[in-house]
Amino acid sequence: MQEVTAPSSAAPKFRPKRGKKTGDLKKRLWRNKWIYVMLLPGVLYFLIFKYAPMYGLIISFQDYKPYQGITGSEWVGLEHFKRLFTEPEFFTILKNTLILFALNLFIYFPVPIILALMLNELRGNFFKRIFQTMVYLPHFMSWVIIVSISFVMVTMDGGIINELLVYFGFNKINFLLSPGWFRPMYIFQVIWREAGWGTIIYLASIAAIDPGLYEAARMDGAGRLRQVWHITLPAIRGVIVTLFILKIGHVLDLGFEHVYLLLNSMNREVAEIIDTYVFTAGLRQGQFSYSTAIGFFKSIIGLIMVMLVNRISKKMGEEGVY
Amino acid sequence: MKKSFTMLLTALLTLSFMLSACSGSNNSKTSSTDPAPAPSANANAEKNAETKEAPTEITIMLPLNTTEAPPDTIKNEVEKLTNTKLKYQFFPADSYEEKLNTSFATGSLPQVTYLKNQSTFVQMKEAIKDGQFWEVGPLLNEFPNLSKMKPEILDNTKVDGKLYTLYIGRPLARQGIIYRKDWADKLGLGAPANVDELFAMAKAFTEKDPDGNGIKDTTGIADRNELVYGAFKTVSSWFGTPNTWGTKDGQLQPEFTFQQYYDTMDFFKKLRDGGYMNQDFAATSKTDAVNMFTSGKAGLYIGGSMQDIDNLNKDLIKNVPDAVLDTHSMVAGPDGKFAQWMIPGYNNVVLFPKSAVKDEAELKKILAFFDKMMTPEVANLMYWGIEGTHYTVVEGKAKAGDDKELNEREVKGYKDSVIGESETNGMYEPYNTLPGRIHAEELILENVKVGVADPTAALDSATYTEKGVELQQIITDATYKYIYGQIDKAGFDKAVEDWKSRGGSKIIEEYNAAAK
Repeated sequence: MQEVTAPSSAAPKFRPKRGKKTGDLKKRLWRNKWIYVMLLPGVLYFLIFKYAPMYGLIISFQDYKPYQGITGSEWVGLEHFKRLFTEPEFFTILKNTLILFALNLFIYFPVPIILALMLNELRGNFFKRIFQTMVYLPHFMSWVIIVSISFVMVTMDGGIINELLVYFGFNKINFLLSPGWFRPMYIFQVIWREAGWGTIIYLASIAAIDPGLYEAARMDGAGRLRQVWHITLPAIRGVIVTLFILKIGHVLDLGFEHVYLLLNSMNREVAEIIDTYVFTAGLRQGQFSYSTAIGFFKSIIGLIMVMLVNRISKKMGEEGVY
Repeated sequence: MKKSFTMLLTALLTLSFMLSACSGSNNSKTSSTDPAPAPSANANAEKNAETKEAPTEITIMLPLNTTEAPPDTIKNEVEKLTNTKLKYQFFPADSYEEKLNTSFATGSLPQVTYLKNQSTFVQMKEAIKDGQFWEVGPLLNEFPNLSKMKPEILDNTKVDGKLYTLYIGRPLARQGIIYRKDWADKLGLGAPANVDELFAMAKAFTEKDPDGNGIKDTTGIADRNELVYGAFKTVSSWFGTPNTWGTKDGQLQPEFTFQQYYDTMDFFKKLRDGGYMNQDFAATSKTDAVNMFTSGKAGLYIGGSMQDIDNLNKDLIKNVPDAVLDTHSMVAGPDGKFAQWMIPGYNNVVLFPKSAVKDEAELKKILAFFDKMMTPEVANLMYWGIEGTHYTVVEGKAKAGDDKELNEREVKGYKDSVIGESETNGMYEPYNTLPGRIHAEELILENVKVGVADPTAALDSATYTEKGVELQQIITDATYKYIYGQIDKAGFDKAVEDWKSRGGSKIIEEYNAAAK
């Protein structure tokens, strides 16, 4: 941004001098016009891709029939929301969604931080790079591949894990088709795929720490762990909090593809989440209005969560995201 | 320098703004209730009409059962024969429902829309009744070939007594067992005559080391996560379960309220508990189940079309060169009676959306294309491919070429779209060489003799149209849970009660009212 405003001071002929109080809104707008122009794509993006589609939310208050369109469908008010809150299924789904979310937050979230700290301690650039690449790599594989690899590994019909269990004298475990194993499998796969990728931002902010601080700490006789605890962690605290809030903003985006691939008749009671339910009810069974109502509800929960956490973080003296 | 940079940026932004504005207006056009404009074929058509009859432009959307869309080899030939300009839109069969629903919701279904199976047809019925699709019934008489279609099957596809669709015919009951005859012979077993012998065969295939490698590494049945087209429904009909709906105390009731359904679940529970079928079958895809069978790990493949034996054999002998396959379907139930469930004679239908076909004249042109498709020349081309390249004629029947991959790639995509069946469209019957396949063709005829039709196929229930698919999930889940021992009989009964209270009772009422 500075680059563009720079010419205004360099070529005072065309623009009012900087620092001169104009007070006149028009003039101020004109002076900063390039900044506004640069803002435009962002604004357009949100208008077109985020705000315009909200028009479609109307159908959650209608008995929407595709051939009658949004303008022609019958208005039913809160009918679909009533159905939402009276069907016992919905609370199971909500519960499942929140539990998976909690797993993401409390089990997955710290992993990239720990991994980044560990990577940072590695000496020898060659080894460090190889290791980094290896942990990034799963991020570029689609969920289909990750889930298929897991399937081959844990299936009871000749999967390596179950064969090993039998070899060491244990019983086979039904990983794929039992409600109890769904959540561990889910979070393990999330860590497997995303943890390495998640370290990037932390590593960048660790790299920005003044090396003088470490030097000083070493002079005072601080060991490695002390340095991590008193210098690295406090230095990246702001980043951690920001990422934490952003993560909560995606509170209910738990990876539709991932869960959908793991879902089957046997673990539906724990694995059906809002996203998969919207997909099944809306696109496969054509209940457009009802699934829109659920999706709408999901967005509201997300919004509330972000506002809540943002407030908490401000109370704790951190910056927050807005 | 810096100034030119800003200018460039502005130019780019303006451009992007204009572009987005354009796309915005396009969107509003397609999402409005007005029918989407048909391809602007007519302007060109009129120009060419002076010289000769211009080819009809037709856009066709259909499910694809192979991995990639076929090249234009067949299409070009079909265009020549039918004087058309065809545009095929292939979408993977696995996700075809989504594609269908989204295209429908945005009013962008093409002139010719193939559905996927009967349940997608049920979902569309509401829109059909609302008049979103052209009725074709009264027009069929004008077309000599289309009018040959079998009236009893057309009746099954009628909605409120009117015909809106053309059907893709299939034998009524193709399902049965494909099994390892070499294993059975080695263990001294014959083809299973009843369900107990079937169980014994699965058990022997698992425990008696039929492949003779000294390790217990084989399984009886390779099944997949599909209750209807997998093993379950086929075996359930052998047990005497009615086909989807049956009559009890003079009333139509769903199959899962019958004792035989429970017996079938017990049968599968015993199979799975004993380890005589793949343990993870409820999470196994069709590809994985087929792989288990073709890699020589499993000995029984139940419920699929027995005509698949050619494909299974092709892959199996790559892995196990001396394997021998055979087909079988006459398995008696506990009461010694035979029964086979039947489809209503078609496996898919074609619809003509009013949003894309704007008047009856255009509809007639499209029907003329389908009329030509029902001539032996075109039907053979689309079903078998090009003579000499994809198939040869032996004794008046078509013998598929040896290059199975070529056929799969170039012909398979069109094969599933041929309307009618060989009796009506005159295409060649298959020439079979594999003994198991010849046996299969005999069995398919036998099956029909003890066939059980779905009594609700031509009936109508508004609740079923609206909620049937969703409610079926309850039963499907409960059936798996019962087989896996997660719930007992009481638990299953509870699921049935749940099904009833959430709309099932109404479906029962409506079907019974419609049957009278």
